[in-house]
Amino acid sequence: MNFDFDEQQYRFRDTVRRFLDNEAGTSSAENRLWAGLAELGLLSLLVPEEHDGLGLSAVDAALAVEELGRAMAPVSLAATLAAADTIARFGTVAQQRRYLPAIASGSLRVGLAVMEEGAGYDWRDLATAVDTRNTVSGDKILVPDADRCGLILTAARFDDGRFGLLLLDPKRPGVLIEPHQTLDPDTRFQRIQLDAASIAQDQILGGGPSEKSLGHLLDFGGLLYAGMLIGLAGKVLDIAVAYARDRVQFGKPIGSFQAIKHKLADMAVAVEAGRSAAYYASWAMAENAPDRARAVSMAKAYCGDVARQVCNDAIQVHGGIGFTWELGLHRYLRRAKVLEYALGDAAFHRDRIVAETLLALDRERETVAS
Amino acid sequence: MDFRDSPSELAFRTELRRWLAEALPQGWGETVFEPQDEDERARFRLDWDRKLHAGGWAGIYWPKAYGGRGATLVESAIFAEEMARARAPDGLNIIGRNLVGTTLLHHGTEAQRQRYLPKILSAEEVWCQGFSEPGAGSDLASVRCRAELHGNHFVVNGQKVWTSFAQYSQWCIALVRTDPGAPKHKGLSFLLIDMKSPGITIRPLRQISGECEFNETFFDDVQVPVENIVGELNGGWQIAMTTLAYERGPEDALGRQIRFKQELDQLLVALSGLRRGKGRVVDDPVLRQRLALAITEIELMRLNCLRTFSKYLNGGQRGPDASLIKLFWSHAAQRFYDTAVEALGPLAPLTAGDRASVAAGRFQLSYLQSRAFTIYSGASEIQRNIIGERMLALPR
Repeated sequence: MNFDFDEQQYRFRDTVRRFLDNEAGTSSAENRLWAGLAELGLLSLLVPEEHDGLGLSAVDAALAVEELGRAMAPVSLAATLAAADTIARFGTVAQQRRYLPAIASGSLRVGLAVMEEGAGYDWRDLATAVDTRNTVSGDKILVPDADRCGLILTAARFDDGRFGLLLLDPKRPGVLIEPHQTLDPDTRFQRIQLDAASIAQDQILGGGPSEKSLGHLLDFGGLLYAGMLIGLAGKVLDIAVAYARDRVQFGKPIGSFQAIKHKLADMAVAVEAGRSAAYYASWAMAENAPDRARAVSMAKAYCGDVARQVCNDAIQVHGGIGFTWELGLHRYLRRAKVLEYALGDAAFHRDRIVAETLLALDRERETVAS
Repeated sequence: MDFRDSPSELAFRTELRRWLAEALPQGWGETVFEPQDEDERARFRLDWDRKLHAGGWAGIYWPKAYGGRGATLVESAIFAEEMARARAPDGLNIIGRNLVGTTLLHHGTEAQRQRYLPKILSAEEVWCQGFSEPGAGSDLASVRCRAELHGNHFVVNGQKVWTSFAQYSQWCIALVRTDPGAPKHKGLSFLLIDMKSPGITIRPLRQISGECEFNETFFDDVQVPVENIVGELNGGWQIAMTTLAYERGPEDALGRQIRFKQELDQLLVALSGLRRGKGRVVDDPVLRQRLALAITEIELMRLNCLRTFSKYLNGGQRGPDASLIKLFWSHAAQRFYDTAVEALGPLAPLTAGDRASVAAGRFQLSYLQSRAFTIYSGASEIQRNIIGERMLALPR
């Protein structure tokens, strides 16, 4: 047992942090940011070596993803990483050859089109469907940066009733992308309307329906969003602590008052517990451990709650200035809020935690009994 | 990062699992439980301590020279997992192992280690902790219990309070004032006191749970040989801080997590079998949300400890992370027992002895006990000060 990262993983985190610190998060620098992260190896991390990647795992990505959250980097980076791992594990050889080197080099950005207006978070409720003429119709919402993506990994039901993933080319006829109005404009969420868009056989991930691949994508995406959320929470905690050290009221730094100090201590405890959840889930995901689903759901639900709470409390610690547009704490809160609802909100994941725990408990009791 | 057992870890786990299957009474955790009576329970737990020792499972990460197993914190983490899985009982000599032993390993003389450590592990000598006083709670450095040096012994006078297990203990670690003229942190010493010494009186204190685990302890001209000091004269504060770091630390927390995990599993099993109105209680969507938080937080207690173990094993220093671990588990456990009792609905008021009580009233008892979690080993307010000042570098 070893619940720590190795030196190389810490070094990679430091490199990513230095790079992101130097890049301003402006939209004009966005392409440079993407190219720079590709150059550092972030986008090739999960791509197998035979496709020009580094062949590493979710554990190797965990600390870097936290940095992406800290720096409020594009959410589509996480989506692309989740897609890379899913294509590497479930794609046909031809699909891997076609997409993985492009992802690794930073030239292909991937969108995740899962959620729909009329469905909750259970993929069995999705209505987007592939018909017998091999065309797909449906309405997907909340796809980050869809208009900048060269590939949209789309969850759909097939005519045999099973679900799977489509490797959708957004430039094809029948695909209409339009921007949403959202709480966090920086995430650049888009709606994708699919109107009888034709699907070739090689545009079905793995060549046919695969609920395993869909489950993998959702868990991997949820894990990475959890990592971004806890990275964001860590950054906001740092901002609040720095402010509490400097801001003077009643002739003293406000951080010397227990009302503030204790709030910040609680925030720090929550962030550390969130890290424990996210790091463990990264291992469970990388190893496809028996408790993978539970670990990911714990991380997503818990880190989402922590990030929201830490943002709320940080605004409170700042007082009036915290509520201003100019200071920018609202950008973190907005990002935390939209990630909180992406790929499963806390209520959805908590219900899944109980279901998975009861299943495991039944299995364990059977083993003990036998 | 790797949570799989190495071959030697797996061998450890397998051996322990086999041993537990033999050592626990037939039907343990299903039909056979701990005695309800407090004194009988204490004897039962002492027997369990001794059984663990006889089996070679006491002091897993302690050096072999002092009767330990000479393994690492990893094995002690595996130990905790297997104890939870087997629903093994708690021991009695928790203070001896977690507080006294670890403190002596850091600060004791070789003679003290040789003398005390093996008997802690064998549970021949049970220990209690004399730190708090009526006038020294969160402000521990203001202890007034006085120890005056007369030739080759100290004479101790004063009172300690919240002395858990004093009634079962042969020895006590005590923080006493040896220099009343010095600044308050600099006039304290750390003594090992034989509970059989003339002049010690123990008075039980009934807690809100109805139990009398802790006591008031009075010292009236109690003679303590001078060699029973740990560290320097007037250097006791630093020693006590080591004790507290272990009392709040991951080893202690992981031991507690075993019990929370056992009771969580027990609750889930009970709620799966319990029907209310048209369905199973465990299917109530509102309750499930709260259960999920309990499941998550009890797992995070474990993961927080494992992360800290790995940090120590990889060369990291002990620091304010102990406060972080304690603040997390204590509040999370309280939330869990809130949920556990609430889950019982109309049966929630029924306690041990009532024929309709769930799990023999265990959750209600634990709920009451849990109120102390955020007070002992340093109240949450103290932990937050420590985290705020030492971890976040906020001004005092």
